[in-house]
Amino acid sequence: MHELYLAESIINIISNYAEHNGFKKVNIVFLSCGRLSCIESKTLQFAFDVQAKGTAAEGAVLEFQILPAMIHCFSCEKDLEVEIHTGVCPSCGGHEVVLTAGTEELKILELDVD
Amino acid sequence: MKVKVVKKVLDANDRIAEENRKLFDQHKIFVINLMSSPGAGKTSLVEQTIKAIKNKYKIAVIEGDIQDTYDADRIAKLKIPVVQINTGGACHIDGNMIREALPSFDLNKIDLLIVENVGNLVCPAEFKIGENIKVMLLSTPEGADKPAKYPLMFQESAALLINKMDLISYIDFDLKKARRDSLSLNKKLKIFEVSCKTAEGLEAWIAWLTQRIDEFKKK
Ligand SMILES: Nc1nc2c(ncn2[C@@H]2O[C@H](COP(=O)(O)OP(=O)(O)OP(=O)(O)O)[C@@H](O)[C@H]2O)c(=O)[nH]1
Ligand SMILES: [Mg+2]
Ligand SMILES: [Zn+2]
Repeated sequence: MHELYLAESIINIISNYAEHNGFKKVNIVFLSCGRLSCIESKTLQFAFDVQAKGTAAEGAVLEFQILPAMIHCFSCEKDLEVEIHTGVCPSCGGHEVVLTAGTEELKILELDVD
Repeated sequence: MKVKVVKKVLDANDRIAEENRKLFDQHKIFVINLMSSPGAGKTSLVEQTIKAIKNKYKIAVIEGDIQDTYDADRIAKLKIPVVQINTGGACHIDGNMIREALPSFDLNKIDLLIVENVGNLVCPAEFKIGENIKVMLLSTPEGADKPAKYPLMFQESAALLINKMDLISYIDFDLKKARRDSLSLNKKLKIFEVSCKTAEGLEAWIAWLTQRIDEFKKK
């Protein structure tokens, strides 16, 4: 659901930049977010396509840099990458873990424009 | 050609939330952003909290329902100023919705503003509204896997109320896992086990909240 609002915000930011920098067309929008930030990239692209019609953002492709989810385990003192956070250390099975990265919010990094 | 941006997508919302925060600070209003999935017990907690501390603080409530005014009517019965935000199908309350609701209140007559967010475990956690603290509910019938599935809300919250504890003997809810996984996302998270039906466990929540409000007021 939030993809709708995120898409709208991305388009607003692009429109501001288009005005200031004088570009007419965006080819690629480079984005980043954490693996566990619950953002559905296909849904976001779809919402973006629908709302970008008639703006400088029309036709742009969204490219995601997915930042890894990391845990720190206090039992084996390791820092490990995880696919999902289960509260269990994948190395020693210990429960004394803390999620240290993975929920970073969506950012626009760069635009590829003409 | 490449154009560097490096900007949070929700930057515009963050800035509105900061403006709201300034306004709340000027008027010494402590603001709670209350979040949970649908039906976990947000309105019940608001009702219980009002009953417990309405003689101590002047309270106001903002209700974010997708459609009806059912929750707002429940609060109005307690003779508390309440504004219903129509989110128009949106899955969350954002900073601008709060800004637009504020003229309906006399800000000089509020100590505590409780904002009941839309029932949803994902989106509300991303949108700042100018709150002092985020508080979330997880009800026992929802299951103990929620921290793992929706980590952001647990990370962002100052307090977690595990609600519907009166039902725990009827359902499979792994309380130990829920507590452990929540704390593995947020070491500072304050956890309360409560029932908004029987009022069991609510004194600890009220005591904690009262302390937070009083500290804020003294500043
Ligand atoms: N058994 C039991 N039922 C509860 C408890 N707290 C709330 N309920 C019931 O759960 C249902 C939903 O409670 P609400 O307070 O309306 O939940 P909500 O989170 O405000 O719901 P939405 O605003 O629709 O998302 C109601 O029927 C409440 O009476 C509890 O601690 N125990
Ligand atoms: Mg409600
Ligand atoms: Zn380990």
